[in-house]
Amino acid sequence: MRISLDGQDIEAQEGDTVAAALLRARITTFTRSIKYHRPRGPFCLAGSCGQCLMRVDGVPSLPACRVKAQEGMACERQNGPLGVERDLFRAADFLFADGLDHHHLLTGSRLLGRVALEIARRLAGLGELPVRVPAPVRGELRVVELAIVGGGPAGLAAARAAGARALLIEREARTGGAELLFGAGPEHGAGHAGLLLDAECVGLYANDTKVPGNALLAVRHRDRILAVVAGRVIVATGGVSQPLPFPGVDRPGVYAARGLLGLSARVGRKLAVVGDGDEQQRCAEALGKRGYDIVLVSGVPRRALGNPVKALDPGDGTRIRCDAVAIALPPAPLHELASCAGASARFDGKGFPVETDQEGRTSVPWLFAAGTVAGKPALPSGEIAGSAACR
Amino acid sequence: MSLSEKAIVCACEDVSVHDVDDAIAHGFADIESLKRYTGLGTGPCQGKSCEVGAMRICAQRKAVPPQAQVPFRARPPLVPTSLAAYAGLPGEVTGPRIATAGLRPTWGKGPHPLQPQAPLPDRVDVAIIGGGIMGLALAWNLAGRGAGRILVLERGYLCEGASGRNGGGVRAQWTTPTLIELAKESIEFMGRFAQELGINVWLRKGGYLFLAHDQETLSRIEYGADLQKRYGLPTRVIGPGEAGEIVPQLDTSKFIAASWNPEDGVVFPWPFLWGYADGARKRGALVEPFTRASGIEVSDGRVRAVQTDRGRVAADRVVIAAGAWSPTVARLAGVELPNVPYRHEIVSSEPLKPFLGPLVSMLGTGLYFSQSMRGEIVGGMGDPEEPPGLNQASSLRFMARYSRALSELVPQVAAVKLLRQWAGCYDVTPDHSPVLGETPGVAGLLQMSGFVGHGFMMAPAVGRRMAEWMGGSKDEIFERYNLRRFAEGRLIQETFIIG
Repeated sequence: MRISLDGQDIEAQEGDTVAAALLRARITTFTRSIKYHRPRGPFCLAGSCGQCLMRVDGVPSLPACRVKAQEGMACERQNGPLGVERDLFRAADFLFADGLDHHHLLTGSRLLGRVALEIARRLAGLGELPVRVPAPVRGELRVVELAIVGGGPAGLAAARAAGARALLIEREARTGGAELLFGAGPEHGAGHAGLLLDAECVGLYANDTKVPGNALLAVRHRDRILAVVAGRVIVATGGVSQPLPFPGVDRPGVYAARGLLGLSARVGRKLAVVGDGDEQQRCAEALGKRGYDIVLVSGVPRRALGNPVKALDPGDGTRIRCDAVAIALPPAPLHELASCAGASARFDGKGFPVETDQEGRTSVPWLFAAGTVAGKPALPSGEIAGSAACR
Repeated sequence: MSLSEKAIVCACEDVSVHDVDDAIAHGFADIESLKRYTGLGTGPCQGKSCEVGAMRICAQRKAVPPQAQVPFRARPPLVPTSLAAYAGLPGEVTGPRIATAGLRPTWGKGPHPLQPQAPLPDRVDVAIIGGGIMGLALAWNLAGRGAGRILVLERGYLCEGASGRNGGGVRAQWTTPTLIELAKESIEFMGRFAQELGINVWLRKGGYLFLAHDQETLSRIEYGADLQKRYGLPTRVIGPGEAGEIVPQLDTSKFIAASWNPEDGVVFPWPFLWGYADGARKRGALVEPFTRASGIEVSDGRVRAVQTDRGRVAADRVVIAAGAWSPTVARLAGVELPNVPYRHEIVSSEPLKPFLGPLVSMLGTGLYFSQSMRGEIVGGMGDPEEPPGLNQASSLRFMARYSRALSELVPQVAAVKLLRQWAGCYDVTPDHSPVLGETPGVAGLLQMSGFVGHGFMMAPAVGRRMAEWMGGSKDEIFERYNLRRFAEGRLIQETFIIG
């Protein structure tokens, strides 16, 4: 199968995302950053980080890591008016080596301020307006007693405990969650609960419709939105890969370790795995099974070198040469769905787990959280929340 | 090519560790202010990859205590999602509705953990309740006139209320002479705000295009344009063809005429508050965030003091500039205001390359949208079914209604993805005109509210005139817009309200 990038043909394999096809073709610069025009490529490879946005078939800023490659698909890189590979606007990055303080830039002169405004206006934005006008897509309404968001181990356990009154909503095409990355299929399914796959919750609101139920979920299912009215909701959204702020971490060639585990292509052979503790060990082992040669790097590197990154400077005068860097930090709780509905979450040094009581109740009476998002092991927190939410 | 040494925390908005440190040094350590000051978390990933890193820095620097180590308010959609998808939501979502409650503060119960520790003064000359743009503009002007000790009480972070939640539109197209004058002066001041107050507000004069869909609305814009011309504005009523040249993406069959003033524009609202607060402090005023007014003492027909959650402060004059919260605050002094709060919602799209010059508004539906300096389409729409109440929570209903209305008027944006929605409150008066000046029966209690969602664009002028009036200058607007008019039946109808 062939797709194109900026008019050039790229070979893609069955099951590839656009990102996988491009990385396999050794294309690592996917876009330029919004302010300094720094080169950027995919990081999380899970649709969360926004570093691989591309114009696909005339639609701007789609995450290349989530778009399945299809025959003839036309991909275009954005925000590189003079070419994404060698972008002269990158000069801004060097001119403002300490950062460009847009609040206080040229405030002394009205004239220079206007010039800055005109320049900033022209450089703003990522993608161009879409060309095509999509046909309207009718959504629909579903009413359930209990909606469970996230089909990883915690959500599955909650679904089994709740039974037929629950609807399990999973954004991927299969349940299992992050465990699938490590080769483990789910031991148990969703039991008697209903299952909605390929469905991503993009919002959770207090229900203001006349349809009875406490919660109103906006669920993106393919190109439409389902409105789901639910009496109660269990959020089991798991976690999201995190970068580590050191110079160069945002460059092409630095990936989330879990992202690489889910990628159908390999990004070179020698991989420097940065991180600590269990997560680093576990990811390194799994990546090793994918055929990578692993170098473990502890602590925070002083900087990453090259574009794409080909070496790490650990700060001790040595260089760690590699084909790519993987960051293996524990995933941070994906609290947003719970917290946009008002549930409290608090920093624990690694992320913001949603606060829950022993039964998984959040600070919102109809809202429960279980598993990583609540900073708890999937088992038994999923089962407990599943039972409590049915009482 | 050599390597730049920036350690990027937020890749979407290119925010570095250095930028976060800089914000903390400027006093923007609480996560909501940190987000707004640096821009972190406002890009396509909406904070999923930077919020933890930023909080780790704050915690390492001991910039915020553990109780304040909470995420910023998450804003749907959690993944960028197209207008077309929202526009297709079923009728139950946009049909008859019930009222819902607002959200509780992210940090939990009680005062914010970053409430300043220093004691408040026992006595000030002027206490201003509300640290929005009105109160801060007044404080800066008063302090510049040497009006004594000035204290501004803000219950949240700067930008927590409507001043930090509006769409940034500024226009002089109004239908009452006073509002035209106030807006004209304010926009003129915005043009030199950076020189006066040392911070950029990014005023971009792309114009305002009001669309009229029927004859009745056409008469209104013709009346407005005539009036505005007399006050020196270049407003013209134009046909759909000319409007379509200004914004080629408009479906020109959806309206019959438009009111066009190329000198109106859009600003970036947040720096106004930071600039005024900073400027007022430099002039000796006290601006106290995270400090709540809990009582107003009145005796013998005179205001005496403000009680706060940091103690009592005696004051000769107390100004109520709390926007939609003004009736609640006035009640502390036993005064009833006719103002009613109504939620209004806004959504911002993914950042797009510049294509839209003016702010466009459809009179009638209250739909409006413009393109921000960052390239986002920022827009909102009123809802006739919205129940009154102080509610800053977002709704799915708004997303569906807005997406439908916008993609009907501008079909080409249907595939554009929405990024972040939020809500704020309009402070609505019965005649859509403000409440200004003395309070009948309570000497020293001054009103500065009731701007119906457009106070932001009037504040520079209102702040100046109010400061001069408080200094003894005569100014008839503080008579004409007095609270008395509601009892006396002298209403001053303003009709160009949008959103």
